[in-house]
Amino acid sequence: MQASILEVRGLSKRFGGLTAVSELAFEVREGEILGMIGPNGAGKSTTFNLIAGTYPASSGEIVFKEASILGLAPHQIARRGILRTFQHNRPFEGMPVIDNVLVGAHRLFTKNSHAEEAVRRSRAEELIEFVGLGGLAAADVGTLSFGQGRLLEIARALAGEPRLILFDEPAAGLAPAELDRLAEIIRGIAARGIAVLLIEHDMHFLLPLAHRVVVLNFGAKIADGLPDEIRRDPAVMDAYLGSHAAHS
Amino acid sequence: MRWLGAFLVLSGAAFLLGDYHNDVYRKMLLWVTLALGYNFLFGICGQVSFSHFAFYGIGAYSVVILLFQLHVPLPLAILLGVAVCIVVALAVAIPATRLEGFYLALATLALAQLFVVLLNEGGDITGGTGGIANYRLPAMLGLQIRGPWYTGVIVFLLLLTLWVLVKLDRSWFGRACRAVRDNPEAAAAMGIDVARTRVAAFTLTSALAGVAGMVYAFVDNTVNPPIFGLENAFLLLFMVIVGGSGRHAGAVIGAVLLFLLPFWLSPLVGHHHVLVFGVLMLAAILLQPKGLIGLWDQCRHRFSR
Ligand SMILES: Nc1ncnc2c1ncn2[C@@H]1O[C@H](COP(=O)(O)OP(=O)(O)OP(=O)(O)O)[C@@H](O)[C@H]1O
Ligand SMILES: [Mg+2]
Repeated sequence: MQASILEVRGLSKRFGGLTAVSELAFEVREGEILGMIGPNGAGKSTTFNLIAGTYPASSGEIVFKEASILGLAPHQIARRGILRTFQHNRPFEGMPVIDNVLVGAHRLFTKNSHAEEAVRRSRAEELIEFVGLGGLAAADVGTLSFGQGRLLEIARALAGEPRLILFDEPAAGLAPAELDRLAEIIRGIAARGIAVLLIEHDMHFLLPLAHRVVVLNFGAKIADGLPDEIRRDPAVMDAYLGSHAAHS
Repeated sequence: MRWLGAFLVLSGAAFLLGDYHNDVYRKMLLWVTLALGYNFLFGICGQVSFSHFAFYGIGAYSVVILLFQLHVPLPLAILLGVAVCIVVALAVAIPATRLEGFYLALATLALAQLFVVLLNEGGDITGGTGGIANYRLPAMLGLQIRGPWYTGVIVFLLLLTLWVLVKLDRSWFGRACRAVRDNPEAAAAMGIDVARTRVAAFTLTSALAGVAGMVYAFVDNTVNPPIFGLENAFLLLFMVIVGGSGRHAGAVIGAVLLFLLPFWLSPLVGHHHVLVFGVLMLAAILLQPKGLIGLWDQCRHRFSR
């Protein structure tokens, strides 16, 4: 078994009277794709925001590469090697695609040399190619389609050479053909040795892709295990009852 | 090489102009310098600040007070003047940039107001409402720089400012500034320290404005409170928006145009040129948010097809 890169223990988040995440515990192992599913409002994005430092946790522990990252600011967490995409595209609108990707590499810049800039730039171009935006490096981000914007989010996060990447519903709003391509990209990322924590709504997309799955409902973990186990888990089917996933 | 050519052309022009036109010319160059710095702060880093012109004043007053009231030697006076700008900039930026952008606008507005009040109430140190006048730039190495030669100093300042800003803009720091402007939350998620980036940009551009102010102090050889009022802080904002914010060329065009416009308009409409500015500003915001430089890009685009 691979060593774990991220460990979450007893993590809770309350917004006023609402407990969005409650006593959550899970781990992400080196090089794996850990899926996280759950119905609307289950607390998936909140969990991400706690890991990324956007929200302070009410209680609990988050350990990344054997060091606690609880209480660190988002930029400090990013600098340690956790990069994320957003559920809703957040491009830097005043910049072309390539510069958006280069911002993702911000944490890697050590000096202010032309040589370094050139290296990063060619790496960024490779990544743009890798996610399937080839030929659009110089394009204005305003001209991208929604789906291309999703891919840009991924390229930008990859540019920082993360050890752990957090994807918040990357498949949301994509056409079926784009979904296959996305699954391929995510597998490719894991194959590079980057651990992936993948939030998804849609079990059809997630289950074939994830190595292990954590299921949330009302902020709490109701199941975790291999995709096949999750498929057969009655508690999971209950939580999804009436939704499309129940038919699988 | 190109920088040297620009220096020779821009300063050479001063020798072809008469006294009056040379005076107009170098004030225009100073406005361009200020607009370039303000464009970095407002257009590239997205910070709405109203203190940029006050820092111009802080620089001017600092160097004059240090030289002629405290009798500090010139090189030291320049260094201390820059230090004063940096300290004041940090004191404003550190608390303000940790809050939302709106508070930076308020804090800098307060600073700009406070500065003018301090100048008026400063007694002998600032010369009160009359300011300080009738001093001369100390001779350096036995040389007294004056007339068109001093315009050369201003051209040097302008090009130095432009060079620093272009370098920064093309570096990861400039990219971080743009990222912070476009989406602070996403910028932080990519490892950018948003507060620090803002403080650094604010302090740097404020210090550049201060240096420009020091050079200005010896253009008219007088500094007084009305020069550094809020009106000019807004003019600077207009220049950047009308020219095209976020672009160095836009700042240059906006500054040249709005500085020269009153000279052409005054014979026609008297003091109502402020009204024309207002209309231009509205037109820019409503019709062409990318400013005149954006308009120029569009035209070029159309003709190149
Ligand atoms: N900033 C906030 N303030 C108050 N309540 C919040 C905040 N963010 C999330 N919540 C609440 O916390 C709960 C969990 O929300 P979260 O966004 O984590 O769900 P999710 O699993 O990502 O859902 P979705 O699939 O719709 O994205 C919801 O009830 C939501 O309304
Ligand atoms: Mg969500």
